[in-house]
Amino acid sequence: MASKLPVYRLIVLLPLLVGVVVVMYPLFWMVSSSFKSYDEIFGAVWSLPSKWLFSNYATAWTKGIGNYFMNSVIVTVSTIAGVVIIASLCAYGLSRFRFRYSKTLFMFVLGGMMLDPQVCLVPLYKLLQNLNIHNTYFALILPYIAFRLSIAVLLIRSYFLGIPKEIEESATIDGCSVFRTYSSIFLPMSLPIIMTTIIFTSYYAWNEFLFSIIFIDSDKYRTIPSGLMNFKDALSTDWGVLLAGLVISSMPLIILFIFMQKYFIQGMSEGSVKG
Amino acid sequence: MYRMGRRLGLLMLAGLLVVMTACNSNNSTPSANGNGDAKGKTTTLKFFHRWPNEPRNSYFNYIKEEFEKQNPGVKIEMESVLNDSYKEKIKVLVSSGEIPDVFSSWSDSFAESLVSSGRVEDLTSMYKSDPNWTKTLVQNQMKSFTFDDKIYGVPFTMDGKVFFYNKKIFNKLGLEKPKTWDEFIALLDKLKASGYDTPIIEGLQDSWAVGHYLGTMNQRMMSPEVLATDYAGGTGKFTDPGYLQVLKYWQKLSSYMGPNATSVNHEATRNMFIAGKVPIHYLQFAELGYLKDKPDLEFDYFNFPQFSEGKGNAEGLTGAPEGFMISKETANKALAEKFVKFIVSPENAAKFQHDVGSMTTVIGAATKENSPPGTLEAIKLIQNAAETTPWLDNAMDASVADAYMRGGQAIAAGIETPENVIKEVQDAAAKLPAVKK
Amino acid sequence: MRTRRTIAPYLFVLPCVLMLAVFVYMPLIQNFFYSFQNVSLLSGKSSFAGFDNYRTLFSDPVVGKALINNVKYAVISLIFQVGFGLVLAAILEEEFLRKVSTVFRTIFFIPVIISITVICLLFSFVYDPTEGLLNMFLHSVGLDAWAKPWLGSGDTAIYAVIAVSQWQSIGYCMMLFIVAIQKIPRDLYEAAKIDGAGRVKIFFSITLPQVKEMIFVNSLLTITGAFMVFNEPFILTKGGGPGTSSITIAVLMYQNGFVKDSMGYAATISLLIFVITAVLALIQTLSFRTGKGD
Repeated sequence: MASKLPVYRLIVLLPLLVGVVVVMYPLFWMVSSSFKSYDEIFGAVWSLPSKWLFSNYATAWTKGIGNYFMNSVIVTVSTIAGVVIIASLCAYGLSRFRFRYSKTLFMFVLGGMMLDPQVCLVPLYKLLQNLNIHNTYFALILPYIAFRLSIAVLLIRSYFLGIPKEIEESATIDGCSVFRTYSSIFLPMSLPIIMTTIIFTSYYAWNEFLFSIIFIDSDKYRTIPSGLMNFKDALSTDWGVLLAGLVISSMPLIILFIFMQKYFIQGMSEGSVKG
Repeated sequence: MYRMGRRLGLLMLAGLLVVMTACNSNNSTPSANGNGDAKGKTTTLKFFHRWPNEPRNSYFNYIKEEFEKQNPGVKIEMESVLNDSYKEKIKVLVSSGEIPDVFSSWSDSFAESLVSSGRVEDLTSMYKSDPNWTKTLVQNQMKSFTFDDKIYGVPFTMDGKVFFYNKKIFNKLGLEKPKTWDEFIALLDKLKASGYDTPIIEGLQDSWAVGHYLGTMNQRMMSPEVLATDYAGGTGKFTDPGYLQVLKYWQKLSSYMGPNATSVNHEATRNMFIAGKVPIHYLQFAELGYLKDKPDLEFDYFNFPQFSEGKGNAEGLTGAPEGFMISKETANKALAEKFVKFIVSPENAAKFQHDVGSMTTVIGAATKENSPPGTLEAIKLIQNAAETTPWLDNAMDASVADAYMRGGQAIAAGIETPENVIKEVQDAAAKLPAVKK
Repeated sequence: MRTRRTIAPYLFVLPCVLMLAVFVYMPLIQNFFYSFQNVSLLSGKSSFAGFDNYRTLFSDPVVGKALINNVKYAVISLIFQVGFGLVLAAILEEEFLRKVSTVFRTIFFIPVIISITVICLLFSFVYDPTEGLLNMFLHSVGLDAWAKPWLGSGDTAIYAVIAVSQWQSIGYCMMLFIVAIQKIPRDLYEAAKIDGAGRVKIFFSITLPQVKEMIFVNSLLTITGAFMVFNEPFILTKGGGPGTSSITIAVLMYQNGFVKDSMGYAATISLLIFVITAVLALIQTLSFRTGKGD
């Protein structure tokens, strides 16, 4: 086999492997250094830890990451629940009924996609203060839901449209109420697109930075992205612990990605969540 | 049919409530439980400070626990963020009315801007009613929190910024403390010639570090009257040629800091000084505690040298106390005062001195035994300072200070000229009346 | 009967419309009002400012600087993420890599799912002038002259910041292209091979035209992203330093609003961001609706 390897393959493989090193090495360094002591991180940069300090992880968790982690879980799960419920209701309303303003309302919902969250920063900040929810979980959850709704409605609606009319009709004949049709027929049938929605929503809520540094003041409610900044300040030079914190923070989405790659890719490509 | 419509609405409401309540239990309504006056209930005191980093963090944890132990039924809700973030957050909290019961504050214009919100308690009576307690504090430190003859804060840490130098290196090369700017530059040249490529360094990625230099240099250069007019919001012009000269001197000085200065932070460069790699570093007395970590480092310090054309006080010292303020809206004023007095009590101040290694305003808290070398001299220096100047970013409006600090950083990086920077400062100052009321 | 028919759909749609109205559209409109005011968070006061904020916007040299940085961001991102991302995707879809391509794909995609805060903190270790991975690597291979204070020099800061974004996002574009390439009918390739077309020719004559739509979408996404960059300069160069050499328009907005307490001006800057991104989004939405989609 190897002898048959044409030059072309070498030309292609070489840069590819260089790319892999460029991408993976910093991550590898992050993980391996997270087990090192301060002196070793800078003293023996390229080598593996001489003693694996698992204690760095325990320290990181108790010194704040644990708290931020739980906050991120609360915010992310609530955001997902909000987006899935509100968006699927809306998508159902827009796809299964014909009513006077349906077109207008659909455009209204779609328009939200054109707006980037940061554009609304200043007024949102004031709004949250006026609503008295500034510096609570709601200060993140509500805006996060709002800014993911448009794309979620768009996706779920087009999926609903693909569900044959006959199913709905037979449900009505069986005596299902409108809501039951939605909750026990449409929702379960749309599991794939709901999964996609969950993925891109969790990606957004887990990693969002700008809102979380501005709308949250106290460590009690801080999520991982903004908490890490505080974590770093508080540690000063305890780099091993900081790196352990970085690794912990990245794990949930990486695990999610590994197990749900298919939905992930679909979610990322349809959700256009880059930013 | 009709019933179904209603049920539908209810279900949807329920769906929304699921979202809302999903996190409600963890969201223990932070703004509502500040006042548990009722007997038998716990009283919560919200305390916000700016030292989440060690060793101060442990000290404040100790304070919190000890105070709670001594006062059953009292709970201290403590929060902290570092430096620049604190600056932004506390301003917002005070202005939005979600003001903590007790919080730390810088002095002078920073404190004044908080006071201007009308939500900070006037503590004059706290001092007057308890002269025995008042006497325990270094008296000249109160003036940094005094506005319109009312005292709005209790100063706790005392500070001053001077050039620390490595005594071994100076002795080896036969160098002396410089008194004037020219001597200082000559000294840096000598160090450079002796193989120290960066005779002095600063972590210029931290813009406040730039501000600390420029604040002192402005004070040395300008007469106090000119400085006062220019620093005040609305009257600042910064047209005196002295300001430009200061930036030119800064350009010169930063050229000794090497190409890496703008890409590292203060902490990193302080470590370089402690490790003996750099002979001179501009440091706060508050940082003395870090220097004691390395016992074989022999150091001494000298005040910022004076320019030959300088009109400001050559003996002036830059540095300001930091202290605590109490909210006017607190439901537990007496308790808040008690808590502040607890922090600045002689025992706790001595503990702070010992654990953290930096000075407090509490007389006698520092002893030879519990303090890093140089502390007692530093306290004397601060108490006797002919004039104390607040940090640049506490002394002027944030937007002018920002122009100064970013400009100074850009000069050090070699991408901006002093002429352009002073123009940006002037523009920022000119905009002030328009931007702020 | 009729009442239900009219009310039910509205009830379904209501929560969504409400959320969007309150948290998305209302702030947008308020932005407009704020832009005509001097708003101070600290004193809680606001006053009418006329066109002052707009005048400042057009005369503020930092706005221009920031926009230029955003443009640099966009151009470099187009080359690396869209250009190289496509090439990467095409290579990974090559026949002879079929067995291992999933591994490569996963590797290149991992940075995408790591929080940008984590990445920026990690890269502050990479870029450290004396103890950073990059300079130490350059020293160890004898390229001492190349070592630089990456984030502290006015010449390199913005590019060092941009490079981090490329490192993170190239996998994202790659993945979208892979999805698009997999949808290309295989027989097109078979036919070309029978005609004896070379790999490069196949890429240009089949792959490229077939993923045209995706190139367009990716480009718009990338450009939009480039005009909203906030996290990287905010963390890596502490708000766009040294001086303002790596500042972006979003960082400028943040600083004016939350550091200098000029909320009115910050709202004006965010309107500028809105105009830029809305135009880009409009192009995308319109083309999505007219185009065949993917």
